[in-house]
Amino acid sequence: MSSVAIARSRSLDESSLGKVFIAPSVLTMALVALFPVLYAMVLSVFSYDGLRREGFAGLVNYAEALSSGEFWRPVNATLVFTAASVTLEFLIGLGFALIMARAFAGRGLTRAVILVPWVIPTVVSAQMWGLMFQVTPGFINHYAWFVPQDFNWLGTPGWAMVAIIIADVWKTAPFVALLLLAGLQTIGQDVYESARIDGASAWQRFTQITLPLLKPAILVALLFRSVDSLRVYDLPKVMTGGAFGTETLSMLVQRFVADTPDPGMGATLSILTFIAVLGIGMIFVSLLGRDLAGGGEGR
Amino acid sequence: MAVARDRHGAAGRCRRARRWGGVALLAIIWCWCLLPFAWLIDVSLKTGNNALSSPLLTQGPFGLDNYASVFGQGFGYNLRNSMIVASVTTILCISIGSLAAYALARLRLRRKALILAGVLAVSLYPPVALVPPLYELWRSLGLLNTYAGLYIPYTAFTLPLVIFILTTFFASIPSEMEDAARVDGATPFQTFARVILPLSAPGVFAAAILVFVHAWNEFLLASTFAPRSLAVQTVPVAISVFTGSVPFQHPIGAITAACVIVTVPMILLVLLFQRRIVAGLTAGGVKG
Repeated sequence: MSSVAIARSRSLDESSLGKVFIAPSVLTMALVALFPVLYAMVLSVFSYDGLRREGFAGLVNYAEALSSGEFWRPVNATLVFTAASVTLEFLIGLGFALIMARAFAGRGLTRAVILVPWVIPTVVSAQMWGLMFQVTPGFINHYAWFVPQDFNWLGTPGWAMVAIIIADVWKTAPFVALLLLAGLQTIGQDVYESARIDGASAWQRFTQITLPLLKPAILVALLFRSVDSLRVYDLPKVMTGGAFGTETLSMLVQRFVADTPDPGMGATLSILTFIAVLGIGMIFVSLLGRDLAGGGEGR
Repeated sequence: MAVARDRHGAAGRCRRARRWGGVALLAIIWCWCLLPFAWLIDVSLKTGNNALSSPLLTQGPFGLDNYASVFGQGFGYNLRNSMIVASVTTILCISIGSLAAYALARLRLRRKALILAGVLAVSLYPPVALVPPLYELWRSLGLLNTYAGLYIPYTAFTLPLVIFILTTFFASIPSEMEDAARVDGATPFQTFARVILPLSAPGVFAAAILVFVHAWNEFLLASTFAPRSLAVQTVPVAISVFTGSVPFQHPIGAITAACVIVTVPMILLVLLFQRRIVAGLTAGGVKG
């Protein structure tokens, strides 16, 4: 056999093996992620009375959802939550990452400690912070001198959202720190050394070297945190049950499945949520695409 | 910041000061990460109304009554359910995902970019969007309140993570190893099973831990598809329904004890395998 023939037979062998290898993953994801969206599109154009289908409704469900405050209030709450928590997580996470990158001793153990909030189930951290913010047995009112002793965080509009944001920032800022630390460690010390010789101040080194070189890691962290925050469900569900302006988009959709079942409206809301979250994610990805590809080539 | 200012400064004392400054800053991170959980443990050990409603950490009496009452409420079943669902998810996800990752990293495959874009789309996907349609589907297939009703969607949603981690990992293994195997007459599948998979054990292990943690902690689908029956209800759902309707009748002791019980194994996992996770994600692994 000539070498060309060998190469061809191997490539055929390989590409059919490739198909066999990739098929289970593609099928699973199609079954659970693609099919339900198509099915939801079908459900969303019917009207229901409870669980009983009444008839074809066209786009009535969509018109009803988009014109009601019941849809826009959770949209607003979700956006406020995402903007506030992602910003705080990024700033605190960056601070933590810089501290860890500079530390001489205890770095390994700190990296383990920083995984603790990340690994705690969100439901547990929701219960934990919910209790801490309560008058009893919470200690926040007791030790925070600027708060009235009987201040009801989770029962006050506005402050309920603040409490949820605090709980989220506590849990995910360390995770952001871990992502950024990995980025920091790829920056060579020699760059800083030569900048120092050229007389650059610490602040200049931070803004002119660290931030630009850290950009790919920052963008990846922001992308994943934003998309994750837009899907937030566990924290508000457990801490407030969605009361006092804390109902998020995910909670709204879930409500039409479990509490007040209406497959048509539930599917409609899920399609709208899907478009909103995936749309924002895709905008993010396409904006970052160039930078991410650039970062990937550097490896 | 001041800590790192002067590198040429007179050695010993300055270096020691810098080291202690660094440790002090690290202490902030330690407090941030550990104090809330330490408080939770403290509360879970308090017994009686008097102790449980006091904000003071030292207000006793202390004891293990809360833990006993948690297991009296059938929490053992919840732990078993979570363990089964998370384990099955991990096994399914790793076996399916590692094949796909190998194909993407190494094999000739058409429409690779399209597949990767699809995987990325699934990783950005809001799970709640599938709750209404999947609920209808599971209802007609009889998969509500079953383990399969949970681990099937969990597998689908953690597949992107596994595929991304393992694709990177497989791609970092030098292709000379495969070429050598081929020269020795191994088929592509043998090459994958005998050469690549053993070499990437650390990466597979790291991915497995991440999948397990994700499945153990999942709440939205678990609370919708298996909300009440003790035969399938997972731990996060059980913990969330401890919430009473009247704030002052919260079974605070039971909640906190249950929280500690499910979290301690996860923390041990992280402490034990932190090094291996990090090493698994960074080490390339050419030996011999």
